[in-house]
Amino acid sequence: MTAGPQDPAVARADDAVPHDAVRHDAVPHDAVPHDAVPHDAVRDPTVPDDAVPADAVPADATVVTGEAAAAPPGLVWNRMHPVTPAVKGWKVLVVLVFIAVQQAGDDLLRAREALAGRGWLVVLGVVVAGALLGFGYAALAWRMTRYAVDDDAVYLHSGVLFRQQRKARLDRLQAVDVVQPMLARLLGLAELKLEVAGGPGSAVSLAFLREEQSETLRAELLARAAGLQREEGRAAEPSPEQPVIEVPPGRLVAAMLRSGSMLAFLAGVVVVVVVVVVTREPGAVLFLAPAFLGIVGVLWTQFSRDFNFHAAISADGIRLRHGLLESRSQTVPPGRVQALRVSQGPLWRRRGWWRVDINVAGYGGAQDAAAENVLLPVGDRDAALTAVWLVLPDLGVADPRGVLTAAMEGTGTDGGFTTSARGARWLDPWAWRRTGYRVTDRALLLRTGRWVRRLVVVPHERTQSLGLEQGPLQRRLGLATFVVHTTPGPVSPRVSHLSGAVAGRLMDEQTTRARHARAGAGPELWLRPTTPTAASSSGATSLGGPGGPGGPGGSSGAAGSTTTDPGAAL
Amino acid sequence: MTSPHVESGPFDPAGVEWKPVSPRLATARLATCAITLGVPAVAGAVAALWSGVAGLWAVPVALAALLVWCVVLVPRQVRAMGYAERADDLLIRKGILFRSMVVVPYGRMQYVDVQAGPLARAYGIAQVQLHTASPGTDAAIDGLPADEATRLRDQLASRGEARLAGL
Repeated sequence: MTAGPQDPAVARADDAVPHDAVRHDAVPHDAVPHDAVPHDAVRDPTVPDDAVPADAVPADATVVTGEAAAAPPGLVWNRMHPVTPAVKGWKVLVVLVFIAVQQAGDDLLRAREALAGRGWLVVLGVVVAGALLGFGYAALAWRMTRYAVDDDAVYLHSGVLFRQQRKARLDRLQAVDVVQPMLARLLGLAELKLEVAGGPGSAVSLAFLREEQSETLRAELLARAAGLQREEGRAAEPSPEQPVIEVPPGRLVAAMLRSGSMLAFLAGVVVVVVVVVVTREPGAVLFLAPAFLGIVGVLWTQFSRDFNFHAAISADGIRLRHGLLESRSQTVPPGRVQALRVSQGPLWRRRGWWRVDINVAGYGGAQDAAAENVLLPVGDRDAALTAVWLVLPDLGVADPRGVLTAAMEGTGTDGGFTTSARGARWLDPWAWRRTGYRVTDRALLLRTGRWVRRLVVVPHERTQSLGLEQGPLQRRLGLATFVVHTTPGPVSPRVSHLSGAVAGRLMDEQTTRARHARAGAGPELWLRPTTPTAASSSGATSLGGPGGPGGPGGSSGAAGSTTTDPGAAL
Repeated sequence: MTSPHVESGPFDPAGVEWKPVSPRLATARLATCAITLGVPAVAGAVAALWSGVAGLWAVPVALAALLVWCVVLVPRQVRAMGYAERADDLLIRKGILFRSMVVVPYGRMQYVDVQAGPLARAYGIAQVQLHTASPGTDAAIDGLPADEATRLRDQLASRGEARLAGL
């Protein structure tokens, strides 16, 4: 784990290894002392590291071997693509332009005056300085960033002033994304993002790599995470995939026209028209413009995010591909989906459309949470059933289709559900008959909502902890609410107003079931190369393997990635 | 009234022996109440006396009422808290009006926190909090005697390790 810098034994062993013969120094000593690369702070002073002459090395060469304390010796260190600074450096300029526009926007006349004459020179100077700053910093950051991969982990060293070493254990891997922002996409670059469920900001981001390189690396990482034996000198090939879901743009637009945001938009239009007509003051539009633009922005984000949505199944797990400007290609290995929700708003009912969201540990902390947690933006019932099947190929019932249909559309005891107790009609007169649960051999199904229909599915082995709640009214009516705690994400499984006895029993049984399911889904299943289960054998059927390979030993998410920051300690 | 939870129900699973938390927690919490409510109440009363404005009495009276409410409620609340170590999981329950119970399997624990503020330290109690991968898991046991907190922490850690499971 953090071992590296804190562990002098490792550091020493490291430095003693004589592969220094071919050591190259990535960073010229005069610019930045290269062994700032971390363990410096605790390094054994007797090792004359600096005695090794610094050579200049072609930028994209394999750079430093066995240099860092955190990583075992003999690692092959790589750099990001040399164009990376050009892609990342723009941010400073964008901010500058934004500020400039905002300032100038306040007073266009004065801005024009200022630009006349020598003003241009100032503006030009600021732009050049900004560009130098942005690209210069990005270039420095690029020089300081290196990554390496071995059988157990991905190592990432970065940081200009505050150095950071990160080690993400592959057995804790929750998901691998290839993200391509607009500019990177034009240049054929991509960011590889590894989620290890260590809380917000724990993802290891390799930005930017060549597109093919990121694909190869992803395949390789997934193969290693699955515990496949690596053949020397042969790159892992992306496992074949089988497309299962596709959302045509037409349907996406149609679905958005029937969404809540669209209703807000229409309401906004009506308000604006009414206000303008009543006050006879077209200027009123300006006051409402920001809110209006906000809604348009939301709609646009939604559209560009879910545009061209494709889901496929492969030996590596679920593959999701989507995005208009920024394209995102996600891979969620089998058994990494913690919970799933199938939902339908009132306006989608006539069309029979559904949406499926998922909880994946590691997803959802960042600002692009909404982009990551969607398994199906919109689709008919069959697509929704397919999405559920992607996550849980074996629902643990004889007639999964019938049960799921009842769970999605039914009420009462359809499909073997147990609903809220009769007393609940006082607290939830509208939906109490629909609120209910059903236990299968593999998962817990929670059905709620009559206006917005929802079905939550939690695989037994993914249960974190369970809770029971009871307010004063519920107590009087003999009711209790049952809650399943799951990793952060859009899905929060709970079923309200069960009868007290039923809730108590459910809690008890569910505790036992979750324990057995966990025991069945041991870490070995996924890691052992000798048992080529779900991960290695190809085809979707393999996913039905017993227990669905669990997050192997991923018990401590916080340990999934390790961050050390010797610079900050000073 | 020994315990507000004598009746059976969903919050009293069969065969579970609940351990109460230390009654010193009630004392500690009452001390907090006294400091946050009592002191301003006295100050308010003094100000009202000093100025002679009758309306000013509303403030200390309200604060005093809150204080009485605290004195009545806190000991009951503390008595309602309990935890139980079972073979594979830890049970925690709390609340009188709004009751809740949590079951945390040992194998799901990510880490355990032990905290004690200055007041708690003065009373020799500490809080043990379990964390799972879910932020929804509200599994804090307040008011454990310091040595019991240490024991529980070590116990939980070793049991968690023995039952290590994936996410």
